[in-house]
This record gives sequence, C-alpha cells and structure tokens, in this order.
Amino acid sequence: MFMHVFSYRLKCLLRDRETVFWTLIFTLLLATLYYFAFGHLTGEQERFDPVRTAVVDSPAYRGDVRFQQVLASLSEPGENQLLELTVADEQQAERMLENGSVAGMITVGESIGLVVKQSGIEQSILKAILDEYAHTTKTVVGILAKNAGAAQQLISELGDRKGYTEQISFSDAVPDTILGFFYALIAMACMYSGFWGLRNAIDVQADLSARGARRSVAPIHKLGVVLADAAAALAVSFAEVLILIAYLAFVLRINFGNQIGYVLLTCFVGCIAGVSFGGFIGTVVRGNEGVKTGILIGASMTMSFLAGLMWVGIKDIIARKAPVLSYINPAALISDAFYSLYIFDSHRRFFVNIGMLCLISAIMCAASFMRLRRERYASV
Amino acid sequence: MLINVQNLVKRYGSLLALDHFDLQVSEGEIVGLLGPNGSGKTTAINCILSLLKYDKGTIEVFGKPMAPDAYELKRNIGIVMQNVAVFDELRVDENIDYFCGLYVRDPGTRRRLVEEAIDFVGLGEFRKFHPKKLSGGLLRRLNIACGIAHKPKLLILDEPTVAVDPQSRNSILEGIRELNREGTTVVYTSHYMEEVEQLCTRIVIMDKGKTLATGTNGELKSMINDGETISVELYVLQPEDLAQIRQLPHVTRAHYADNRLSVHYDGGQHNLLRLLDYLKSRELSFNRVFSEQPTLNDVFLEITGRQLRD
Repeated sequence: MFMHVFSYRLKCLLRDRETVFWTLIFTLLLATLYYFAFGHLTGEQERFDPVRTAVVDSPAYRGDVRFQQVLASLSEPGENQLLELTVADEQQAERMLENGSVAGMITVGESIGLVVKQSGIEQSILKAILDEYAHTTKTVVGILAKNAGAAQQLISELGDRKGYTEQISFSDAVPDTILGFFYALIAMACMYSGFWGLRNAIDVQADLSARGARRSVAPIHKLGVVLADAAAALAVSFAEVLILIAYLAFVLRINFGNQIGYVLLTCFVGCIAGVSFGGFIGTVVRGNEGVKTGILIGASMTMSFLAGLMWVGIKDIIARKAPVLSYINPAALISDAFYSLYIFDSHRRFFVNIGMLCLISAIMCAASFMRLRRERYASV
Repeated sequence: MLINVQNLVKRYGSLLALDHFDLQVSEGEIVGLLGPNGSGKTTAINCILSLLKYDKGTIEVFGKPMAPDAYELKRNIGIVMQNVAVFDELRVDENIDYFCGLYVRDPGTRRRLVEEAIDFVGLGEFRKFHPKKLSGGLLRRLNIACGIAHKPKLLILDEPTVAVDPQSRNSILEGIRELNREGTTVVYTSHYMEEVEQLCTRIVIMDKGKTLATGTNGELKSMINDGETISVELYVLQPEDLAQIRQLPHVTRAHYADNRLSVHYDGGQHNLLRLLDYLKSRELSFNRVFSEQPTLNDVFLEITGRQLRD
C-alpha cells in the first residue's frame, strides 16, 4: 500500500508543472541571474592592472638612485606589480598624459611632483605612493639628523617592515561574500520544498479538498498515507536541490569546497525542513488553499531574505541585534551550514546548524501530525 | 439493514443541519435522498461516512457502528463525491487505478477491476486523457469510476449529475441501475426530483435536516390529495361553462386564465375523455391538451408549502 501511494504521489508531484517551475526552474533562473549580476566581482575583472606611469627623464631623476630603486621595485612584473613605468623626456611624457596612455606623470626636481589630467583610482594610487615615499624620506632624514648612529639599524628596519595585524584563515578556503548569495539561494530552494508539503497537506484533509475526503473514506490508515506522500515530496524536492547544486557547481563553477557528503546532508536535511514547513502551514494555519499558499510564499521569502538572499549584510545585523533569529530560521541555518563547511575546518558549527534544522523539522512535523490525526472534521 | 441512522443531530454553530434525522437502507435498495440545496443531504452522507463529527445519534453500517477506523466496513463502501475528486496530474486509467488501489492490494485483480470500471463508464477511448481534457460529463463519469472500481456492496452517490449534460446524465443513471441489478445497494442524493423518481426504489424527502416523508414514488404521491391535472388551450370559455366543468366527477378545482383551462382531479378514470366530450358538446374549439400526473415537487409543496427548487 505504501509503495502504491508513494509511486502515484511521485507521478502527481513530478507532473505538477506549475510547482516544478517555482521549485526548480525559478531557482535555476535566479542562480543564473545572480551569476551574471555578481560574476564580475569574482572573475577576471577582479584582477588588478598596474598603473601606467611616465617618469620625466631629468638629471635630478637620474641622480636620485633611491627613488629609482623604489619605482623599479614597484614595477617588477608579478602578482604585486603596482606600476607600469615609462621613462621619457618631458615633451613625450606630456603627450602620453594628454592622449591617456599614462595615468600620471612624475617629475623629479627639488621635490617629487605628480601631474595628472583627471582624478580617479589610478591617480589616487600614484599620489599615495609618492606621499608615502616623501613621508618615509622625511622621517629618515629627521632621525639621522638627531641620531646619526642609528643609521645602520634604521636602514635594516626599513627593509623589514612589520605588520601588527595578522590574517587568519580557518581553512584553505578564501572567504567570499558572493558565495553567501548562492548559499541563501540553495536555502530558498530547500524552503520552496514547502510547496510540496503544502500540497500533501491539502490532499489529505477532507475539509480542504475532495481528494482528501475521498482518501479519508478509504480503508487505509491516515499515517500511512501521510508518510508515503511525505516520502514522495522529499524525493522530488531533494532531486530538485541536487539539480540546482549540480548546476551551480558544474555550470556556474560555484565552489562548495571538497566535502560533498556534508553538502548532500545539508540539502537533504534542508528539504526535510522545507517539506515539514509546508505541511505545517497546510495543517496548522487556518484558511483556504490560497491563503496557505500566500503565507508559505511570504514566509519562505522572508526567511530567505533574513538568510542573506537579497542582501548579505542582513546576516551581520541579525548576528548583532537578534542572534536568536539565526537559530530559528531554517533558511539561515541551511545557508550557514554551507558557509561553515566552506570556511571552517571543524564541523562543530555545521552540526549545530544541522541539529537545529532537525529539531525545528521535528517540531513542525509533530504539530502537523497533531492536526492531521483528527479523524472526524467539524465541517467538510 | 445496510445503513441504520437513528436520531442524528448535527450542528454548525447555531445552525441545526440535521435535526434528529433517521435513515434505514436495506440490501438491494436504491434509496434517494431528495431535498432542496441546504436540506442536509450531504451532511447526512458525510456523517454516515465518519467524515463529520456529530452531536447526537447512532450510525451503523453493515450492522456495525461506523467509525473512522472501521476499515473492514469502509472496504465495502464506494463513494462518489459531489465535487469531482480526482488528481489532475494522473490520466483517467491512473486515477481509477490509484483509488481502486486504496481498496484492492492485488495488482492483477486491480488491473481487471480498472478495466471493468473504464468499460462501465464508457471512458475506453479517453483512458489516456488527463482530467482537464475531459468534458464535464466525462469528468463526472471518471469521478464515478473512481468510486465504483473496487465493486463496493454499498455505493453512496452525492449529487453525481450536477452540471452534467442530458446524455451523460442518462448514461450515469443507467449505470447506477445496472450496478444495483448486480447487487450493489445505492444511496443517491439529489435535488433533481426527475432523477430520483426515475431511479430510486425508495425516496426520503428531506428539508431543514429532517425527514419529511419516506416511501416509494407511488406511496409518496398517494399521500397528497392531488391527482392528475388536465390543461386545455381554448380561446373562449363562458363562466357558466367553467361552472359546469367544476361539476364534472373528481374535479377538485378548475380555473381559466390566459386562454388556458386548468382542471385538477383527485383521482378517477377517463377524466380527459369526459372533459373533451363536454367541450365538444358545447362546440368549444380548442388547441393543445396536456395531462400531468402529480410530481414529487407537488408532494414537497403539499408538505412544506414551498417548491422543491425554492
């Protein structure tokens, strides 16, 4: 009997084109949209281009060996190359500045000068470099004037600058805020499993649908029907989320780390939470199908928003102002489970999220069952 | 006794939907529950099926108390809901197989029963159609097939012909008669008196949650004073002729208006002949003549003072 109900339920759900659109096609479209909206932030364009700069070749420049060394080190090819330097006479440098082939023109005289044609990021970088050089030179000259004996130590420390803050990574992964959007999207897809849960709830209750009434008068235990329907809904929603994950990973090249087992576990538990949530809305909330659907959509979107679907910064605000929300919002828990997998080597936080999801799902299932187990209705 | 309902009371808030309602159905009967919309027919059916809570009374089916978990009783009951209860995503044959499968576990038996149900309702050429592709009449037939495929001993049909074309309606009614001939006891609710008159071996007239009258079609009609009514179209009728007509045997009342003479009888035979003889003897020319037997609507009107379709 279980397999009979399960297999037909599976057919019903898979052929429900409207719900398949919202639970699968819509999420794929949204993922694609996100990719094109945010892709440039993580792609090739994020790479820094050296600032093209002209230095006016003059006796003073040729005489300032230290400045030449600084510019040469900043122009060394490699990942940290800051400048692309051209040494030219004054007229040539002015022409280059005029036609835009360089961002700025450095002159060396009594002091070091910068000529730019417009203001912008590149020009600001050039100014910052020259200011830093001038400041350091002035500091060194001042120290030597007061204490000539410190020259040796000063020269050695200039070549060995220390940083007093340290960047720590909890894993090999590079923190990436854009991933937060995609994690929230997966969380939304899991919560959209609620559509299947809601359909199940409507189709099993005699006071909500004629199908529910017909199934209620059949000689089968209601719990058996509920479990078979839920298993079918879970199978469909899990398959949909797997398709989404595959699309993100293999087509859009979103990095989920190398813990595929935990990723699948998160999806599975997320789908259980989504189906339970739909069942909860379908049984506990009073109203007709339209009202229940509206509440489901509104609640799913709100939870996804709070999980960072539209704006990642909301997660920080919730963490500071109302941290409890992060623990009772299934979408936030799903999103955070993915994020903790990606960021932390330890699984402690991941399992806290999974545990909370299981607990919330169990509460929603219990509440739904309390309503579903009634055998006679007040009105049909 | 297949169904025995005693003293059933059901309230929706302050509304008394069933007011000490009684119903007895014996094996082999086609019992019709006849009443206007809101008279309590569907509420009674839903109580019998244990879908609804009720405030008072007892319900026995197949001689045992009916309960939501009375699966052995439910196994022998078929239900055809007022609203079509099928899955839009499943084809005709899949829908029937699904609902049949809730009663019959053996796949081989189920396949045979599904084929028989499809043939029975005449949906053979539509078996691969989805419900949305079916006309209203065909959809109702599918709804019936889903309720009868498991060959129930007791079949309950709640207004199965609402919004159905006459051809499909006749097909449905003939199918119900055939099921009854094969041994199925039928409870049929409707507010169409013609259907109930044609189909049912016993009729229960309901209004405001109460049983007003019970009996066969003939027994119910014999409960009222009216016999046949004869109407004649004629252009001229003098008052003295009308007075003479009122004196004819078995005439209870007669009136003339809008070129139409209506004569009501309380019984008797050859009333039409006698009336026409009188009109000919007075050389009154007439056009069409109608003779109407009393209907269940007349019975309902006599008991409640209201039309059945008010």
